[in-house]
Amino acid sequence: MTVVATKTAAPSSAGVRSWAGFAPSVIWIMWKRELLRYGRDRSQLFGGLSRTILWLVVLGYGIGAALREIEGYTYAQYILPGVITLNVLFSSLQCAIALVWDREVGLLREVVISPSPMLSVALGKMLGGACIAVLQGTIPLLFSPLIGLHLTVWSVLGAWVVMFFMGILITAIGVLIATRLKTFEGFGSISNGVIQPLYFLSGSVFPLKGIIGGVGMLDIPDSIREELRRIGIYAIGGGWLVQLPAWLQILVYINPVSYLLDLLRYVLLDFQQLPLTADVLVTFALPVVAVVLAAAAMSRTLQHR
Amino acid sequence: MALAPAIETVALERRYGETLAVAGISLVVDQGEFFAILGPNGAGKTTLMHMLTTLITPSAGTAAVLGFDVVRQRAEVRKRLGMVFQDPALDERLNARENLEIHAVLYGIARSDRRAAIEKSLDWAALTEVAGRRVRSFSGGMKRRLELARALMHGPRVLFLDEPTIGLDPQGRRDLWDRIAAIREEGVTVLMTTHNLAEANACDRVAIVEKGKLIALGTPAELIAEHGGREDADLEDVFINLTGRQLRDEAATAREHIVSFSKRGGELTR
Repeated sequence: MTVVATKTAAPSSAGVRSWAGFAPSVIWIMWKRELLRYGRDRSQLFGGLSRTILWLVVLGYGIGAALREIEGYTYAQYILPGVITLNVLFSSLQCAIALVWDREVGLLREVVISPSPMLSVALGKMLGGACIAVLQGTIPLLFSPLIGLHLTVWSVLGAWVVMFFMGILITAIGVLIATRLKTFEGFGSISNGVIQPLYFLSGSVFPLKGIIGGVGMLDIPDSIREELRRIGIYAIGGGWLVQLPAWLQILVYINPVSYLLDLLRYVLLDFQQLPLTADVLVTFALPVVAVVLAAAAMSRTLQHR
Repeated sequence: MALAPAIETVALERRYGETLAVAGISLVVDQGEFFAILGPNGAGKTTLMHMLTTLITPSAGTAAVLGFDVVRQRAEVRKRLGMVFQDPALDERLNARENLEIHAVLYGIARSDRRAAIEKSLDWAALTEVAGRRVRSFSGGMKRRLELARALMHGPRVLFLDEPTIGLDPQGRRDLWDRIAAIREEGVTVLMTTHNLAEANACDRVAIVEKGKLIALGTPAELIAEHGGREDADLEDVFINLTGRQLRDEAATAREHIVSFSKRGGELTR
């Protein structure tokens, strides 16, 4: 057995360079770890692909057969940002909830005992989660030629920016949940109880209000269409006015994901249903708040037990 | 100037709600010692070790590693200790080299030295040839060697081993034992928890812990002479005489449930 003298072999340990808890090398390695893990896990890619096919292609064309258009877009085009959002929700929450077992049986114990600042560990984790979200969210984007959506460099770049911030927000929310979970038999209910409401209550699969019909004989004349659009009612097939019940509207309005999704739809389709200022504000400010809270919660539960 | 003791605790306590996991333990471990904490599962061995390694905070009392307080000088303590957990704390989706790279960065090993340090650790663990293989495919012995090499990578002066031989076959145990002997020759203090009497017998000194209390402390020979009770007594007799019972396992903890859940292939594990 070769024994290497540990004393003389001790490499020059300059210590972790950090400023007030920010250690770039630690953020980088924790980010890299998340991406390596993602790269090794085919099931996640497969999940993203199967979700896209089911929602975008099957549902998109299925419902699309009945709903001819939503404000000039096919149903598949309308739900594309929603399917992207769904992939972001899944990958971000999966990344965050992994904390529960990582803390008990995984590498995280080794990380916690190191001299590295936990703030940087938390930041690296959330950045990793956000980048995986962008990758997973890009899968539906690859299907856009199939559904006849023309993408530009700018719309793709814009979509990536929104996906990144959405990924940060959801990973941070997931981290906040994970730090409160003792065991993780409850993960199934978390994914159903968190992902699905956030998804369905975000205007992802149905518009907030509109006019429905589509029998063909009730097509709205352009002049009326213009006037309706000005008061925020969009033509769906042409026909009867529909509006979500008030309680459902309230739920959609308080769901932060609605605003990010709306901005994503604006970037990709040039179509939005919520005030643009609110979209921008929620998209860029809320993730910052969530990251601060999540990083604090994570370093607290990791350090002081 | 005298060397600071490797470990010194004074009336160290850890409380979980109503239960006292560690109920006032005071002990001193000198530098270079091979020290065992012997006791049944649930005696508070791991809790004690986690306090010494700054993983959990003491409820009362003090503890110092190499003269640094585990609460007030946590960063100083962390730089100087190496730890091998009871079950592998590895990322099983990553390969051996990647696991070591994470350690190198977390312990602030300069970028220019990282590669050499990683290769040296792989060589020490005799894992160079499988360095690119995912850790998931490693045997228990290989994982333990990797963890030991990792714990030594940053040149710690005190090495903590929590039940290091659990889950190893006889060959793996022997190999681990040889490696620990080599580590000790370099003057590294080794502190391990165990509920294996033969292992405790091989240590310089043994602390017997039961229900969170230190009930005996000394060299194996001293303990046997003092508490053995009969001519050909061994540590087992010492333990029975002191506690009135044999070393045995207690109920599973919450984390053992998670371990078993993940081993069953529970949702999204590893």
